[in-house]
Amino acid sequence: MTPVLESLTLIIESVPQILMGFGLTLQLLFLSGILGLILAILLLLMRISGSAYLSAPAMVYIYVFRGTPILVQIFIIYHGLAQFEAIRESIFWAILREPFGCGVLALTLNTGAYVSEILRGGVLGVERGLLEAGAALGLSKRHRFIHITTPIAVRLAIPAYSNDVISLMKSTALVSTITLLDMMGYARIVYAETYAPYEVFTSLMVIYLLMTWIIQRAFGLFERRMSRHIRQ
Amino acid sequence: MDVLTGWWDDFFWGSVVVVQVFFVALILMVLFGLIGAAAKLSDNKVAQKIASGYTIVFRGTPEILVLLLFYFGSAIALTSIAQIFDPEIKYLDIPPFWAGSFAIALIVGSYATETFRGAFLGVDPGQVEAARALGLSNFKTFIYIQVPAMWRLALPPFGNHMLSLIKDTALISVIGLEETVFIAEQAMGTTGKPFTMFILVGAIYLSFSTIITLSVMRMEKYANKHLEVSR
Repeated sequence: MTPVLESLTLIIESVPQILMGFGLTLQLLFLSGILGLILAILLLLMRISGSAYLSAPAMVYIYVFRGTPILVQIFIIYHGLAQFEAIRESIFWAILREPFGCGVLALTLNTGAYVSEILRGGVLGVERGLLEAGAALGLSKRHRFIHITTPIAVRLAIPAYSNDVISLMKSTALVSTITLLDMMGYARIVYAETYAPYEVFTSLMVIYLLMTWIIQRAFGLFERRMSRHIRQ
Repeated sequence: MDVLTGWWDDFFWGSVVVVQVFFVALILMVLFGLIGAAAKLSDNKVAQKIASGYTIVFRGTPEILVLLLFYFGSAIALTSIAQIFDPEIKYLDIPPFWAGSFAIALIVGSYATETFRGAFLGVDPGQVEAARALGLSNFKTFIYIQVPAMWRLALPPFGNHMLSLIKDTALISVIGLEETVFIAEQAMGTTGKPFTMFILVGAIYLSFSTIITLSVMRMEKYANKHLEVSR
């Protein structure tokens, strides 16, 4: 066989094998994406609460999780937590015993820190005049937050948030270091069998690029919908 | 802390490796970013296409994938080139230090490309026109007018790129670079105290991040000192 044909057959053979990990990659993305968003909203509310007892811990949390590599966070949770007997005997062990649980937990804690900063940027970007107008109309602080701040902040935060979903997707590839078989994990197996890094890893690259493109398009459409009152 | 006895020097040298990778990658990252930005801003269609291909690919794929592709790919290429000269050679690879630094510089450089491009576009065209009117050459305009002005705009995102670089250094342990994560994995095996080891690694990286954040804040203050209100 000519080298080109050989490469093509390798690519055609490896893509279905890599795609066996697609489900796991998606599960990690969606689970930690949603849980991370909930965590981010909690952190945001703590930060803008005005109470130092709430905002200081949130700031420390965000600082620590944004200042350390996600790989280290994954290893602390996967390898590290088992060091303590209290954790091994607690009810959480059912989740933390599994690499999947550790992966979701690490990704959630990490993305939560980044997303809460993005949401805060959105909240701070809301025009003061609108809130003053709300106050003049007699809306309470809570009503102003729900009906004025939230919709505008969401629209302002979408572009940055979509970037963060893409980095979350990229981070999911790191769970292959804790024995999980996501697409990256399968690609590493195929590579170990074939020693063909170009064919295997480039195929995987194309798959990830397609996912990035889909995420960008989806958020682009969402942003268009959220700002439909502005266009004309 | 007793478990760490005997490991302190290993973690120290691991941190030195982190710093070395950081500086090598930083220089390469600025280089890639400037070349990418220059290509995107040029009138050459081909250069524009290549640069946008570069940013799309490296911003849309996981860092670890780029790292593995680069490391194993370069090993195959290098081995086959070496075999032309000496068929005895079985396996050659680029040292993880250089392969890793190059790979993370390429990744972060793709983000820096966008930053630099935006910063150059953000320079007031009036200033460039004024420089031309004063008779400054293209090169002098670039060095004395455009670079100082774009630098101010680029600094805050550039600080984030430096943070990404230092954090991506941890990934290079996957291809065998003996930095702190790699040391912690070894220490975990012999001491059975993974939590202690990885928390220490986290603390090391957190202090590096803090140093970078503080220096960027100082640099921003310096870059904007002419904009401060005089007292």
